[in-house]
This record gives sequence, structure tokens and C-alpha cells, in this order.
Amino acid sequence: MLKRVFFLGCVIACLGFIVPVSAQEGHPLTGTWGGDWGSSPTQRNHLTFVMNWDGKNITGTINPGPDSIALGSVLLDVTNWTVRIEADAKDAAGKPVHISAEGKLEDISSYHRKITGSWTQGTVKGDFRLTRD
Amino acid sequence: MKRYWNISIVIFATALAVSIVTAQRSNTSTYDLERQVRIQGPVTRVDWVNPRAFIFVDVKDANGTVMNWAVDFGNPLELERDGWKKSSVHIGDAVTVEGNPARGNKREALAKTVVLTATGKRLFIPAAARPAAAASAPTPHWPDGQVRLGPAPGKKGFWGPASTKVFVENKGPRIPMNDDGLLLNLADADRVAPFQPWAKALYLNRQRNLLKDDPLARCLPQGGPRQFQMANGFQFVEQKELGRIMVLLGGGDRNWRVIYTDGRPAVPAAEAVLSYYGTSTGKWDKDTLVVDSAGYSERFWMANGGLPHTEALHLIERFSRPNYDTLKYEVTVDDPHSYTRPWTATWNIQWVPDKEIEEYFCEDNSEHTFVR
Repeated sequence: MLKRVFFLGCVIACLGFIVPVSAQEGHPLTGTWGGDWGSSPTQRNHLTFVMNWDGKNITGTINPGPDSIALGSVLLDVTNWTVRIEADAKDAAGKPVHISAEGKLEDISSYHRKITGSWTQGTVKGDFRLTRD
Repeated sequence: MKRYWNISIVIFATALAVSIVTAQRSNTSTYDLERQVRIQGPVTRVDWVNPRAFIFVDVKDANGTVMNWAVDFGNPLELERDGWKKSSVHIGDAVTVEGNPARGNKREALAKTVVLTATGKRLFIPAAARPAAAASAPTPHWPDGQVRLGPAPGKKGFWGPASTKVFVENKGPRIPMNDDGLLLNLADADRVAPFQPWAKALYLNRQRNLLKDDPLARCLPQGGPRQFQMANGFQFVEQKELGRIMVLLGGGDRNWRVIYTDGRPAVPAAEAVLSYYGTSTGKWDKDTLVVDSAGYSERFWMANGGLPHTEALHLIERFSRPNYDTLKYEVTVDDPHSYTRPWTATWNIQWVPDKEIEEYFCEDNSEHTFVR
């Protein structure tokens, strides 16, 4: 059993070596991103972002599925690779709540590039981090 | 149980090797072309393989300590065309090398000259631009009158060196850049192509990083127009009875591409299976083959300077053969997600008569084959 676990570990380790060498070379925000946001390191909320560049605008969805939130606007400032995100969602009680986030795009040449920054949802302020899948 | 250990170790070692392969490196990202180095010593090894030929030299420093240097000569197929042979230098020959040192602290240099110390005979000088071919034979044709893209019946040959290794819009005076597509002045970026702001920023980011993220350096295929600027050439195989033209590519990993000439409609980019070479359909417009291609993935650079593109990339390529030895290539880039308007570039490709494409694999002679 121990050997099988080691074998599986090796395979996973190998994927870790191989995957980082394949970069995605198109628009830096296009793709699916995973991560979370929260007001503290222990209070986190899952995030999935799907973004697409249509040649003029970046469109997309937060948490695709029955509770999805359409991205209102996504602005990429290419002079410093910062991203500003606005969206309107509903809280657990069904009341409208505005989402505003600003982050920095890091490791731009990597397939698994990251966005980290500040996240405000209604009156709650916190931070967020996203990694491109 | 032992089987698992063995398989695990093999897989782990393979993955480690794959992770450190950086084979088809650009001179710009590997060597500091602004600095010079001069080394002397006996040759300890000759690596006459693709994609780069190396000799290794034991160099003694001021304290008498011997350090082994790797000296890069470039591509051996090109060296052979310039008269070099593997036997031009032997293990034990004392040589003096002048060249550009590698970036960082590696004991490696790109040779500009190599001189046999004992005789003063100069062994290696980088190839100058090849002279233009003498008066060329007329363009060959098929019995039906259509231009042949390959050799005349009973002859051999392939398409070799391109008239330029850089890819820029046909507009205005020449833009100063090296053969790797690195601009000498970043302010010239707007003259390269009509970039969208994000694409220009990404292009400049790649330029500032000295093109180190080039997928070709990881031996990924050279899709798009770049396939017609590779050192090892290409060949058309026209299969009229099958309604297709195969393009056999000598550079990269000996890939091929298919251009369908059977009248099928062009595939819209949104419906194509994304690939490095796209989906291509071709039609003859008098003596010009016009190829419409879409369905490109984003996993490659379409040119060596780091020009970005997206999955919306659509290329119109025009191939014409004004004489036996010249192929004129014109490509119009239409990627509204990356560029503000379609733009066109043109270059010529020279026929290499009476020869065949030689074996070339990008992965050979990669960095893990020697440790500096």
C-alpha cells in the first residue's frame, strides 16, 4: 500500500514538474481562475472566475452555475498590470450587494498566473487571490 | 512491489529531465551580446548535433585552475552549408575562441571566431549573408500549367533560408532589431505591428525579458508565419489526387502541416479544433496559392520577437514563385483581439537545390546533456 502511495506521489510530483513549462500566450486575463476572498485568513469564500477578451471588452462570470454573478466591468491597466473588477450580486437574504475588487496581475508569462488584491463586498472589506487554472 | 519503485523512479527522472529541457534557445536570451570573452585551451569534446553544435574547452585561469567551457557554434546544418565539418576540429586541438559569454555565471560562450592556436588557422567565422543566387531557371510547372511549389521532375531540393528572420509590418524604413526579433530601441514597437494596448504591453514585457519565455525554447511547434523563417527549411509535397498540399517542416520537431485544396470551405475560427498550425484551405489565384487559415491555439509565438495573438487569429498566406529559386511569401494577419487592423508582411525564401531536408530534432543536444 505504501508503495502505491509513493507511486501516486511520484506521478503527482511529475505533473508538478511538467505543467509549469506550458504557458498560455494570449490575452493575460482570458481563461478560468480559481481562488477565494475573505476578511481574514480563516474566513474565506470560494471564487471561480471565467473571463474572456472579445477584442474590446473583458466579459465573464463569477462562480458559474445557478448562483453565478455576471461581471459588470473588468478593466486591465496594462501600464502596471492592475485589474479592477465591478459586479452586482445578491446577499443571502436576496438584497443587492455591490462587489468591487482591485488586484495586481503577477507572473504574467506563466500559465498559472495570479491576481491578488483587495475585495469589497457590500460593507465587508477583505482581500482576494486568484490563480489561473 | 519492486516494480512500483522502479516505475516511480523512471517517471520521476523523466519528468525532471523534461522540466529542464531548454533546447532551441535564442542567442538573445542565452548570451550577453554586449560583452566579449576570449578563452584558450585544448578541446575536450565535440558535440556536432542539433540544434546547436558545441565544442568544450579546458581553460586555465590565472591561478592554474582548469575550468571546462562550452562553446556554441550555432546550427550544424547551417555550418555544413558554410563549409564546416565535424572533422574541422579534433579533441586535443588547442584553440583560441572569441565570442559572447552566456548570461549569468555559466561557463559558456557563443563563438564569433575560433583559431587553431598552433597554426593560427582561423576555423570558424560566422556566416555572412549568403550571396543572391545567380540567374535562376524559370518557374517549373505541372502539365496542367499550374506552378510547381516543389522541385522539377527528377530533381531534388527544398526551401531554405528566408530573406529575413524577423516579422514586421511592410511599412516604412527597416526597424533595427536582431535576428531573434529583439528591438534595439523599444520605442520602435509601434512600427512593428498595429498592436492593441494589451498586446503591445505584453510584447514589450517579452522584449524586456529578452524573449526568455519563447515557447520554441521549450521545443513547442513554430506555428503561424514563423514556420517559414526556420533555419532548416521546408518542403511542399503537392498531392493533387488527394486534394491537398503537405508542408514538411525541417525546423522545430519535423512537423508537417496540411493545406486542403479539394474545394472544401474555410473553417471559421470559432468552430475549428485549435492547433499550432491551424486549419488551412488553399486555392490558386492564377500563379499564386492563396491559403486561408484559422483555428490557432495560443500556445506558440507566431514570430520570434514575441508578437502576441489570440484564438481569433486568421491568416491569409500568398505563395508565389517568380523563378525557380525564389518563393515569395506574403501573410496578412487578421486578429482583431490583438491588433487594431489587419496587417501584412512579406519575405522571400531561397531554394536549396539538389539536397534534401536533413534530420533535425529540437530536443537533441539540450542543456541537460551537459552541466556547466
